[in-house]
Order: sequence, then structure tokens, then C-alpha cells
Amino acid sequence: MSIKKNRFTIENLENVQINIGRVVSSHEAKESEGPTPAPEIHDLRDWDMKLLERYEPVYSPVCDMCCYCTYGKCDLTGNKEGACGIDMEAHQARETMLKGLTGTAAHSAHGRHLLNNLIERFGEDFPIDVGPSNLKAPLTQTIMGIKPETIGDFIPVLDYIEEQITQLLATAHTGQEGSALDFESKALHAGMLDHMGMEVADIIQVSCLGMPKSQEDTPLVDIGMGSIDSTKPVLLCIGHNIAAVAYIMDYMEEHDLFDKIELAGLCCTAHDMTRYNENAKIVGPMSKQLKYIRSGIPDVIVVDEQCVRADVLREASKLHIPVIATNDKIMYGLSNRSKDEVDDIIQDLISGDQQGALLFDYEKVGELAPRLALKMGPIRKEMGITALPDDEEFKKLTSSCSQCGACVIGCPNGLDIDKAMEAAAGGDLTLFEELHDKCNGCGRCDFECPKGIPILNVIEKGALKFIREEKGKVRIGRGQIGDPEIREEGRNLVLGTTPGIIAIVGCPNYPDGSHDIYEIAEEMLQRSYIVVTSGCSAMDLGMHKDDEGKTLYERYSGRFIKGNLLNIGSCVSNAHISATTIKVAAIFAGRDINGNFEEIADYVLNRIGAVGLAWGAYSQKALTIGTGCNRLGIPVVLGPHGPKYRRAYLGKPYNKDKWNMMDARDGSVQNVEPAPEHMLISAETKAEVMPMLAKLCFRPSDNNLGRMIKLTHYIEMSEKYLGVLPDDWYIYVRSEADLPLAKKEQLLKKLEEEHGWKIDWDKKKILEGPTRKVDVSFQPTNVPRLVKGATE
Amino acid sequence: MAAKVLDTTRNAVPFDRANVPGPKMAKAVQAEMAGKLISKAKRPLLIIGSAISEEGIVDVIKSMAEKGIPVAATGSSLKRLKDEGIEASYVNLHALVSYLKDPNWKGFDGNGGYDTAIFLGHTYYYASQLMSTLKNFTKIKIISIDRHYHPNAQQSFGNLKPEDFIRALDVVIAQL
Ligand code: SF4
Ligand code: SF4
Ligand code: SF4
Repeated sequence: MSIKKNRFTIENLENVQINIGRVVSSHEAKESEGPTPAPEIHDLRDWDMKLLERYEPVYSPVCDMCCYCTYGKCDLTGNKEGACGIDMEAHQARETMLKGLTGTAAHSAHGRHLLNNLIERFGEDFPIDVGPSNLKAPLTQTIMGIKPETIGDFIPVLDYIEEQITQLLATAHTGQEGSALDFESKALHAGMLDHMGMEVADIIQVSCLGMPKSQEDTPLVDIGMGSIDSTKPVLLCIGHNIAAVAYIMDYMEEHDLFDKIELAGLCCTAHDMTRYNENAKIVGPMSKQLKYIRSGIPDVIVVDEQCVRADVLREASKLHIPVIATNDKIMYGLSNRSKDEVDDIIQDLISGDQQGALLFDYEKVGELAPRLALKMGPIRKEMGITALPDDEEFKKLTSSCSQCGACVIGCPNGLDIDKAMEAAAGGDLTLFEELHDKCNGCGRCDFECPKGIPILNVIEKGALKFIREEKGKVRIGRGQIGDPEIREEGRNLVLGTTPGIIAIVGCPNYPDGSHDIYEIAEEMLQRSYIVVTSGCSAMDLGMHKDDEGKTLYERYSGRFIKGNLLNIGSCVSNAHISATTIKVAAIFAGRDINGNFEEIADYVLNRIGAVGLAWGAYSQKALTIGTGCNRLGIPVVLGPHGPKYRRAYLGKPYNKDKWNMMDARDGSVQNVEPAPEHMLISAETKAEVMPMLAKLCFRPSDNNLGRMIKLTHYIEMSEKYLGVLPDDWYIYVRSEADLPLAKKEQLLKKLEEEHGWKIDWDKKKILEGPTRKVDVSFQPTNVPRLVKGATE
Repeated sequence: MAAKVLDTTRNAVPFDRANVPGPKMAKAVQAEMAGKLISKAKRPLLIIGSAISEEGIVDVIKSMAEKGIPVAATGSSLKRLKDEGIEASYVNLHALVSYLKDPNWKGFDGNGGYDTAIFLGHTYYYASQLMSTLKNFTKIKIISIDRHYHPNAQQSFGNLKPEDFIRALDVVIAQL
């Protein structure tokens, strides 16, 4: 007999009902569990401490005080202790852990919400299908030691994550942990959980909702404020969770509404909408939220969860845009209309009696949103609503600016708004057009102006011509990297002949507009790095074009091979990027990944040249994604807003004893070059970041050809962007075969003259100098138990 | 008409208004005093960021370098400095503050760490945040001679108008 989850009533026994909860299916136990299945907080602590010993946490407090409890406020300036005994370092570590944990909770709760919804629709036994892969859930397998086959198999995975989140959260209570390093270990644990939570969320939606499954040639879709046809009613969905929005698209499909309504998405919901139905359009990333609402173009807004501005209802109401909230995370104080008739809700919203509605019945959301958009479109058009000033008003507003600079001081990027106002008053709009891309649309300036100028609206009006042209293309998120692609490319990655994977991910809080990441991606693609992207960054990459009017997605294909550009998908698809490194360990190197996190992270750290770039990271989710990458041995670079996360993990290349590694063949210790040099670092400009990315792709396992290729890019980008041969280039040279071909002689000379190395000039060979020799069989490891013959 | 008296202590509020770190905030300093403090330092380090396009800044850096102050070129400032013939070492600012924190770091010249960090030409929020590392975890003196008030320094100019900024820097140099 097979038992399914259900409710039974036993005949003749009145009032007795037996609930059968989850039944452990046979395949769950099939896999061997490995050394640390479902690790507790302390289980991977040794690994964390190894990482933290080499990559020391460096804190940059945003606030020198602590106000956690009523003992405080405590002044911790200068690493003083507060009333509870915690010092500044540990407090900063606690803060960072807490922020990261918020991000972990956001992704995992998203996964839970979606899983509940999809189980209700498709049943627990719905099979996982992510494309042509046997290794379907690499993170889950590595962390939990189980191999999920159905979406129901993810229930214990989320149970585990939720329990761990509770345990981690508990440690932040006053008067407990006093060690900064242990808080870091907890933050790393939270980061690891986050990746698994994201994996669950994306695998179940890919499996159940027919999203692309490891598909390299997904179609291109339109992106940009200028790509939305505002002559039609516009239905805008903002957030990250497709659960409710999928019903809207189903309804629109069934009722042939896609050519009558413009369905547009903002933030990651937009990615997932296009993955579900390519008729959807993408307005853009988080930075466009307030700008697009203020444009007055949307006729109805549907919000779900995560990166959705807290003032959406307030802003939308001013412009008579009804808001439909669909998730516990964001309810905006609206009445719950789940049990009401759709017609009644429509009536209340059209009349303006209510500014929005909260609905948990997604069938109703599916019907309500498009029908409401069809009604609101003409009504709002007739009312002629827009928040942007007309030409005359614009002139008046810009002329009323006294150049006091209060807005500049209030702007997080210190943008020269005052200068743009002055120029515009004189009829020159170029400064506003420049400012528009640099402005992250936060709206802080509006609160600063003593003259009451609605600054953001003025910026948008000033850049209107430019905004109308904002049209680009994005290749729809492809999902996981398939096993066959790993088979093809894994070797090149480990040996270094593909110089690295650059993951351009995260939010749009860029220091200097979105063009930076376009330039970075283009440079890396031209140099044959594999560029993977997701979330808001994937959108912004599609917003810029070359001289022939082509976006990067139109110029570079989406296969996982060198020189390709892959849009993986939404935020939760980031899991597939870290999972790719696990796949290389499993498929190329044949490592047993089950419940074997430490060994796999050790492998990734030492052999896979993957680097994350979160150039505009702002969110807690981005923080925990980064920290999760770090626990898996993947370095991450942040933009100049990054130090506001309070903590980095930095290596010290001059501290030679931190770069000792064991050879897993015999336990002998080798002093290796600092590769990768840092785990989490920030940079100030795109010019600084390019050589940094190249350098962070070095790994101890690079073979000669691989190291030569990586060193060539490092040197070339350093010369191109910083104007010099980097002063540490020589420490990455292990033999003459590592030297860039075109510069070999010149560099040998430098090694001899500037660094005292011995060169055999007849043979053009290095005789003496390098820290170590290249040994193709070297098995670098940081974990003693992985040395051959070691006893546990 | 005589030029207005230069007062670099005015308008000493965080340039990013909410960037109020806590009870200990930089003292607003007159340019002359900043110059004197720098000249008294035994092991000063001039830390330059990428925001050095303003007319006149590079000349000032050159003068300071010529007075013997070693220059750390952070961000992507090195190219510009090299073009002007200024000797400088590239270092990432985040990495630099972690080295400065380390008593075992030998400095750029191998002679040990630095007692005074002088900040000039930075992306405001980036430098501010990394000054907080030095402020909270080292004994190094932090002097900001940048255009905007830096609360995490020990001494900083207030928010200056562009024209006053270069004048102030000239006063600093005159003291070296
Ligand atoms: S948690 Fe500790 S440091 Fe923070 S306010 Fe309370 S006593 Fe002070
Ligand atoms: S909306 Fe733009 S200009 Fe205004 S404060 Fe924010 S980033 Fe600065
Ligand atoms: S705060 Fe207002 S008046 Fe002052 S510079 Fe900005 S826009 Fe002009």
C-alpha cells in the first residue's frame, strides 16, 4: 500500500479523523548522506574559521552606537564595549549577520510561499524538471545530502532552513555571542542557507510553470520605460514572486488580452513574467519604480514581495492608480477583499472609494487585475493624469531653484542637481539627461528642497526625450547551467583556459549609472570570460547598445562557454550560478557532493575562477547572496556603496604564512600565490574593478596556459585602466610558461632586474625566483581530512 | 576688492545628510591648521581617490608629493597621477584600510605603517565609510582635506565651494 499525504476518516468511529502528514518518500533516503548533511550552525565552523583566518573580516561601522536594548544607547566608538559586554567588532559582525539573515529569510519565505502555492496547484509529487541534468538541485544535495525528485521533496529542505534561521536569529539577542568571528561563521551559515532557499524557489517555478529549462537561446524581450505602449491600459506588476502574477497571465491568455493590455513588470517579477509568458514586457530594475509610477503611465499596480517600495500605495493613490497587494509581506494597511466578488472590488477601486485591495485568492487576482486595467485605462486617460510638470511649470520650477545645494547634500550619490536646475532654467537639458541615468530614483531629494520643488519629477521631465528612447532587449532568463554544458566547459574552467566566470548580479544602486556594468560586461566578453547575470543587473545590461544599435544580448550568445553572456533569470536564479561551481566539482572532478559542503567549497575556492560583481548592491538579499558565495569559496566585489554593509573579507598578500596550502596527495605544505586574494572587497570605479576582477580569477590550480591567459588579461586591463603594469604581477608567475607570450622577454627582464630572479637567457627559462613551481598534479586543499590517508 | 577671508570650518555638516556616525565626529579645521598637522606627522600617507578631475587638484597633489609625502593612489586615480609625473602606488582603498589596521604591515616603502592618513579626492560615501574603519580600529590620525565634511575623520574641512577648495589646499601646501 502506498500512503499519501491526506486526511482519513475511519468508518464507524465518529469524530475521529487521522491526518497523515508528510510521508518520507523512498528516493529521499537513496543518496548517501555525506559528512555534514543538514549542518547545524557549528558543523561547518572549522571551514569558516579557515576562510576567516586568511580573509579577515574588516569592519566599517555605519553607526558607532548600538541601540539594541534598554541598557543603551551604547557608544562603541574605538571598539569600546557596550553595557552588555559586546565590543564594536562583534556588534558589527552581529549587525551584518542580522542584515544577511533578513535576506535569507526573504528568499526562503519566497520559496515557502511559492512551494505552498505550487503544491496546492500541482501536488507534492509533481516531478522536478530543470532541463538536461541529472544533478538537478546541486546546492540542496551538497548541503542536505538528499537528491530531490519531486517538488514535495523540498518540504524538509525549507523546514531545515526555517529552523536554522530561527536558531541564528536567536543568537542576536543581547548578552550572548561575544565573538566577531563566530558571528561571521553564523553569517556565512545564513548565506549558505540563502542559496539553498533560492534554489528551491527557482527549481519549483521552473519545473511547474514551464519556464525555460537550461535553454541557451531563449527569446529576446523588450525592456525599458520607452518600450511600454502607453496608449493601451498598462498593468504593472512589481516585486519578486510570480505566484499571483501567473494567474493574471493565464487569465489574459485565456481572454486574448495581451494585445489589449500592456502587461509590464518591474524588478525580478518582470524576469519571471517573461520566463512564464514572453508577451510580458520589462520596465526595468528597482531604480525605475518611483520614476515609472510618477510618470503616471501605469493604470493598475499589482505588488507581491521583496524589493517593492514602501510608498507604492501612497504614490500611486496620488495619481489614481489602484494597487492590488497579494502577499503577507506587503499589505499597506489595505482591507482584505479575498472573499468579496470581483465586480464589487472593481467598483470600489474605480470609484476611488478604496485606493487598493488586498487579495490572497489568486484566481480572483488573475481576473481582477486585467479587468480593472481595462476600466482604469480610459478613465485615467480622460482625467489626463501625470505627475510630471508641463513645459511651463518645468521652466517655473527650475527657475525658482536658488542653488542652495540642500538636495545635493540629501542625495545618496551627491548628484549635482543644483547645476542641472540652473542649466535647465537656461534651456539646457543635457545635465538632466546625464543625471537621469545616475539617479537611483530614491526620492530623497524631494524632502530636502526649501522651495518645495518636486525634484525627481523635474529630473524626469528634464530627461523625458531620453526616457522615451529607453528601449532595449533582454534575453529571457534561461535557468540552470545544464550538465552537458558543464561537461564541455568544466575542464577549461579548472585549468584556467577559460579565464573565468564573471557573475554580474544584484541591484541598481550604482555609483555612476548603469552604463558601468555594460562596459564591464563588454570588456570581459571580448576577453572570453563567461559572463553570467541575473536580476536588476541583467536588465540594465540590456538597456545599452553599441554603435549599430545592438544590445549585448544580441551580440553574444547564451551558452555556457567562453565569451558568452547568460541571463540566468531573477534573484532566486542566482542559486544556479553558485550551483554551477558545485556541478563542476561533481561532473568534471567526480567529487561526491552529498552532504559534503566543506570539501566542495574547498574545491571551488582553489580551482574555479568564478567571481561575483554586485556593483550596485543595496539589499539585504544581495548581502547574503554574497556571503553565501563566500562560504562556497567564490569571491565577490561590491561597488563603492558596498562598505555600508559594514564588513568585508580581505586577504593580506604580504602575510605569506596565510597562503600555505596542503597537497592532498601527501599532506606536504606549499606556500602559494594569493589566489584568490580577497573574498569580499569593494572598488571605487569601473576602471578599478576591471583588473581586480581579472586578478580574482587566479586559482592555485591554474595550469600554465590558464595562468598565462589570466595573467595576460590582468596585466592588459591594469595597463588599460590604471595606466601601469600592476606591481604584484610577478607573484603570480610560477615559471616562464605562465608569462604572457607577447611580453615574455620584457617581463623576464623585469623579473631579473627588478625582482632579482635568475634567468637562463639562452633557454629563456626562469631558474630561481618564484614562490613555487608548477606541478600539474598538485591537489591544493585547506582541509586536513582531505589529505590522502588522513584519519577523520 | 579683497578676496573673502577663507574659513574652511564653515558648513561642517555631513555631506550626505544622514551620515551622522555617533558622538565622535570630526573637528572642522582651518586650512592652515590642517597643513600644520600634516607637517608634524612622522609617517604621513596621502590617500588619493578617483574624484580628482576638479581643476587644480592634481597640482596640489604634485606639490604635496614633492614635499616628500608618499602617495597612495586608490580607485582609478593612478593613471592621472602618472600622467602628471607623480610617484604613487596603486592600492585599493578597502584593502589599504585593512593594511593600515595591521601593526605588521611594512608600508609601501618597507619602513612600517603610517601615523597620519590624509584623504583627498574621493567618492564621498566610499571614503567616509572606510575612514570609519580607521577611526574605530586604529590610532591613526585621519585628516580630510577633501571638499566635503567627513565626520569619520579627526579633522576635516567643512563643505566648501569649489573655488574655496583649491584656495584651501594652497594654504595647506604653504604649511608643509
Ligand atoms: S545590546 Fe549591548 S551594546 Fe547594544 S544597547 Fe544593549 S547593552 Fe548596549
Ligand atoms: S531621486 Fe535621484 S537625485 Fe534625488 S536623491 Fe535620489 S538619487 Fe539623488
Ligand atoms: S534644494 Fe531646491 S532650491 Fe536648493 S538647489 Fe536643490 S532644487 Fe534648488
